[in-house]
Amino acid sequence: MKHKRHPHAAAVCKAVAIAILFLFLLFPVYWMLATSLKTNVESYRIVPSLWPERLSLDGYRTLLRDGKFLVYYRNNLAVSAMAAALICAVSIFAGYALSRFRFRWNVILLATFSFSQMMPVISRLISLYGILRRLGMTDSHLGLVLAVSATQVPFAVSLMASFFDGIPRDLEEAAWVDGCGRMKTLLRIIMPLVVPGILAVGIYSFLMTWDDYLHAITLVRSPALWTLSQGLKLTYLGEVSDWQLINAASILGALPMIVIFFFFQKYMVKGLVAGAVKG
Amino acid sequence: MRSSISAAGRRPFWDLRSRKRQDLLFCLCLLLPAVVLCVAFILIPIVDSVAMSFTTYKIANLTKNRPGEWNDFANYTRLWKAGKLQSAIGITARFVGITVALTFVVGMTLALILNTQPRGARFLRSVMMIPWVIPTVIAGLLWAWIYANPYGLVQYLVSVFTGGRVTDFGMLNIKGTALWGVIIAGLWKQVPLMTLLLLAGMQNVPDDLLEAAEIDGAGYLTRLIHILIPYMRSVIAVSVSMCIIENFKQYPLFATLTNGGPVGATTTLAVLSYDEAFVNNNYGSGAAVTTVWLLVMVVVVLLFNLVFRREKD
Repeated sequence: MKHKRHPHAAAVCKAVAIAILFLFLLFPVYWMLATSLKTNVESYRIVPSLWPERLSLDGYRTLLRDGKFLVYYRNNLAVSAMAAALICAVSIFAGYALSRFRFRWNVILLATFSFSQMMPVISRLISLYGILRRLGMTDSHLGLVLAVSATQVPFAVSLMASFFDGIPRDLEEAAWVDGCGRMKTLLRIIMPLVVPGILAVGIYSFLMTWDDYLHAITLVRSPALWTLSQGLKLTYLGEVSDWQLINAASILGALPMIVIFFFFQKYMVKGLVAGAVKG
Repeated sequence: MRSSISAAGRRPFWDLRSRKRQDLLFCLCLLLPAVVLCVAFILIPIVDSVAMSFTTYKIANLTKNRPGEWNDFANYTRLWKAGKLQSAIGITARFVGITVALTFVVGMTLALILNTQPRGARFLRSVMMIPWVIPTVIAGLLWAWIYANPYGLVQYLVSVFTGGRVTDFGMLNIKGTALWGVIIAGLWKQVPLMTLLLLAGMQNVPDDLLEAAEIDGAGYLTRLIHILIPYMRSVIAVSVSMCIIENFKQYPLFATLTNGGPVGATTTLAVLSYDEAFVNNNYGSGAAVTTVWLLVMVVVVLLFNLVFRREKD
């Protein structure tokens, strides 16, 4: 009943709480942007300035010219795009199978999937490195893409299955009566209806594989193949760090993710929530 | 596909049993790629690394393609006697426990506030997700800069609040505060998703029940504990489990912020296993750490779910 007695106090409390929480969540991002636009001389002052006194794009200029950053960027883009495409393809088929054909071993399969999702990456990497080495797939993007995709497949499959669950089965029955084969039914009739699901899975996978650090750092050794996270850590974070450069690189590395999220957040949020809040 | 009997009936040449068999075949084909990927890149490596943990397996085994030799649990006993395993388990437990608890409390608070539809709730809900979409290594770099000693923001704030007495506070260089530095960064990264999931769960709580309780004179806290939280039980269980797993697995933040230091103060099981395997090139020993890690994690998640399920009844 507090609300009724002190409606004003409650509103003030709420506003203050929102302000504090969002300051915590968003100020670091602002600080990253501000630092990337300050000269190091300004950043290294005893009393930091809240907004750059003199805008400096040197950090960005250096990055784009140093011949390494863009390579990492392109590598990461290639790896994440390939992984997202692979995950989508695999999870459309598997998700459809899990959603439509209820066989006894579905439960076992789901349990295996969710169990493998829990596995710490390092635990797999120790032996995966040896296995891929034998196959000649270490130090290559192919091996990295396969390894990274595998980690996202379990979640992607169950996410995709939950989208297929929302499509009425009558459609398949009708298609079957019309003489449409199983594969054709899936590709021509059902798939166009789960485009939001495919987008959700694709974007989620892209975000998650863009975030990968451990796979890249253990499976890929040559600098020419490094991904962004790996390159950032190994090249720019040293004993003496150039913070303007690092923050500029961070902004460029985070920006596409933020943009993608804002464009597709409807699908993303729906997918995340459907994946976790099924009841 | 039980309802398909009628369809099959209209096509006399499709015997019911054969259709079922074909369904099975089709289903298997669809599942195959996903299963192959998961088995080849997740299950086999896990089993292999558990097996490896009982053997001496070093760089020579890798290059000469030689299997490891059984060594009577030497990896485990060596790590245990050196005290590394116990210390890593303790630090991991503290990191996971504190981060998950804080993430839940902060996430719940934020979700409750946003659920009251304050002005700009939609906008707040989407900008809130920014920390979650920022790649973990970049989040690490960002907080490394905030904690940086010298020049970092935290150092400056500490010097202001202590009236200039402490002017060279290096959050990540002090044994007592380094772990907190990583915890805050982890919290920052994970609060958005927690809030999003809890907020979604709140949509399932019937409004009329809450209103009825309010009319009956139930205070805010009573309504929260006796109506809202019980209704959100499954969402809470799922999101907290996810958070536990996520933090157990956390490595990139440690790699960018502390690298396990100072003097091992932030060496969690993740950091220890990475160092043993990929820095010391002692793969058997690293596998031993991950095996322990795996066990601890499975036990914790199972226990959590058990306790949560039992409370329901």
